[in-house]
Formats: sequence, structure tokens, C-alpha cells
Amino acid sequence: MTPIRVLIAKPGLDGHDRGAKVVSRALRDAGMEVIYTGLRQSPEQIVLAAIQEDVDIVGLSCLSGAHNSLFPKVVEGLRAKGAEDIVVFGGGVIPDADIPGLIAAGIEAVFTPGTSLEEIVSWVRKRVQKNHE
Amino acid sequence: MSDELRQLAKAISKVENLDFQALADAATLPLDSAAVHVIGVTGPPGGGKSTLCNQLIKELAVHHRVAALLVDPSSPFSGGAILGDRIRMQALVSNPNVYIRSLSNRGNVGGVASSLVSILRLLMHNGFRYIVIETIGAGQSEVKIASIADTTLVVSVPNLGDDIQAFKSGILEIADILIINKADLPGADSLYSALRESAQNPRLGWTPPLCQTIATEGTGISALLEEIHNHGHWLRQEGRLLEKRKRAAKFEFLELSRMLLQKHLDAVPAEVLARNLNRKGINLLQKLNKVYDELLNTFSEV
Repeated sequence: MTPIRVLIAKPGLDGHDRGAKVVSRALRDAGMEVIYTGLRQSPEQIVLAAIQEDVDIVGLSCLSGAHNSLFPKVVEGLRAKGAEDIVVFGGGVIPDADIPGLIAAGIEAVFTPGTSLEEIVSWVRKRVQKNHE
Repeated sequence: MSDELRQLAKAISKVENLDFQALADAATLPLDSAAVHVIGVTGPPGGGKSTLCNQLIKELAVHHRVAALLVDPSSPFSGGAILGDRIRMQALVSNPNVYIRSLSNRGNVGGVASSLVSILRLLMHNGFRYIVIETIGAGQSEVKIASIADTTLVVSVPNLGDDIQAFKSGILEIADILIINKADLPGADSLYSALRESAQNPRLGWTPPLCQTIATEGTGISALLEEIHNHGHWLRQEGRLLEKRKRAAKFEFLELSRMLLQKHLDAVPAEVLARNLNRKGINLLQKLNKVYDELLNTFSEV
């Protein structure tokens, strides 16, 4: 049994880490190895950490409104380093209107307030399994 | 460069997942490089190990390539883990001389991950000059790090108990260097007197020095580095380092075989195992013993 490795990161100048921690704990309780990098990470730092840690998937949390600029930079950074197989998803207070743009930029799923933890856990598991097939 | 790093990271995952091909490949890589210094850091949870490692790595990485292996515990219930030691090392992430990897102990008791020595082989092969291993928060008996690292640092902090704690067997005995971190806190002086006794006991010809640090401020780090280098020089005399690495290789085999047994046992439902242990338990153990015997005989034939 190979545990799924997840990086949970908070890009940008946003100190609200409650959501990131709750999601991290739920993923851990589902048997995953969660690398939590803490606050105020630049997209470059997140990309490097994801590669060094050989994670399957990166979850980005942003509650400051800067998601449109920060999330796509992580996807671009991974692609530039030949790590496009690492899946990126996001969450936070993100207006519905922004979601299609984020999806188009390569953030494969966006979870907004009210999403159940089960939904996030099961999406992550299925998405990573699909990558391993 | 980034490609190489990606390959290394993936190779480490395979070894961690006990992929036999990856383990066999790793086993061909030498463990005896005298140019490499493996530094283990252990001590209680919240004692400042990550912050201390951050300071050490920052200094070492000025001139050398440094790898850090940060071990955190897995959940006994889900098998998952929160690996959070990187948080104290954010400034090192973009340093091109530094590679940081978080590892779950994956249920392995003793403070480390069972695949750690095989991972060391990969890192040595990739040209890292220093390898810093941070154990999970350790209590009194998590002493496996001493079988892996060349130099073991035991971090202590004030106010964890009275002087009897410093008197007990276990983790304090494995220290090549003793550290009092958070040395600005009240109680540091009495800890110093209590530890001085342990520190002045020579073990196999080495007397562990006692260092005081305030890791958050970087205080005492250069003195600590000097002691680390001193120990490194001492190890390189009279074949001591080679002896250590041979023991690490033996430990690697022991840990991996233990892990393999556990993996197989985990696949058997407890009820089935319990029933069969009652019926043919002795047989099972005898068989196991015979397998070990045969295996070790093939060793001595070579």
C-alpha cells in the first residue's frame, strides 16, 4: 500500500490557515501523507517543495482574493520544471465567476466554503489513482 | 539540475515504498564515502530540532550541498501523517545547495523510517556533502538514529523534569554532542549542571561536549558546528567512520527485513493470525528461524 503524498500550501500574504489545516487533517485521517508548508509561500517555493517531496498532488488555499494570480503560477511553474504530472487543486473564498478561469489555467478542482471534507478526500483519492493507472 | 532532483525524489519514494528493484539498485551504491558527514538530530517534541536543523543547514549550505531528511510520525489509526518540519525551513527551500525531504516513519518505532539508510545511499550518490536527519520527537528510548548517523546530536530543553531524568539510561547515552536549546529559559542552568555529568563520561574514547544554543536567534550555532566538525575529524581517524557505516548497513538490513515481515503480517486478518498462532505458532517461528539460518549461511559462504 503506497500512501498518497499531498502538499498543502498557502501562497501569498494570507494568514488564514484554519481551512488548510482542517483539510490537511482530513487527508491524514484518510491515510495520506500530508506535507504542510505553512504560511506565506511564493509560487516558486511551492513548486520546489512539491518536486523535492515528490508529491502526487498539490492543494492551494487562498482566502485573500489573490487566487487568480497565484494559483496559475504554481501550475505554470510545475510545467516549466517538467512536473506537469503533479495535479493541482485549490480552495478558499473564491467567487463562482473565477472558477472557470482557474480550471482553464490547470487548477483541476476548486473547493469553496461549504464543501464537505468527504468530497475533497474522495476527489483527491480518485484523481491520484487515475494518474497512477 | 531540476531534472536530476526530480529523479532523486522519485527514487527516494520507490525506496520508501519498499520497491524491490529500487532497494536492490540502492544497495549497489556505496555507503562508505568518507567525504560525507551524516548528522542526526534527536530530542523531545517541541525542543527546537527543526529550528536548530534550519540554522545548521543554512551555515553548511554556504559552501556545500546539504540534504535534510525530516522524519515525522504516522497515525497509528489511518497510517496517514502530517509532515510539518519544513515550516521551520522556509528560507532554505529555494537554496540550490539544499534538498529537503519529509518522511513518515510509517509505523516504524524508534524515531526513524526503516528505509533511511537506503535513502542515505541515494543522497551520497547524488553528491551531497552533509546529510542532516531529524528524527521524530523522541522520548527516552528512541535510539535508532545512533545506528544510522555518524554524529548524533541530542537536543534537550529546560524544565522537562528533575535531574533524575538526565540520570536515566537511553537517549542521553547516544549523544555524541549534547545540546541545551532554548538556553535563555529559566532552568537552563540546572539542566546544564545535570547534563554536565553525562557529558563528561567518555564513551569509546569520545567525550560528548555540551553546547548551549538559542536556535531561533542563531545563538551558539557556530560553536556547535565546530563541535560537529571536531567529531567528524575524530571519526575519520583509526577507521571509526567506516566502522559506523558498516553498522549502518547492518541496521539497514535489519530494519528492512522487519518492515517486510510487518507488511506481510498486516495483510493477514488479526483473527486468522491469532487462530493459527495458537495452533501452529511454534512451527511458524521455527520455520522463520530456519529461513534466517539458511540466509546467513549463504552470507558466510561468500
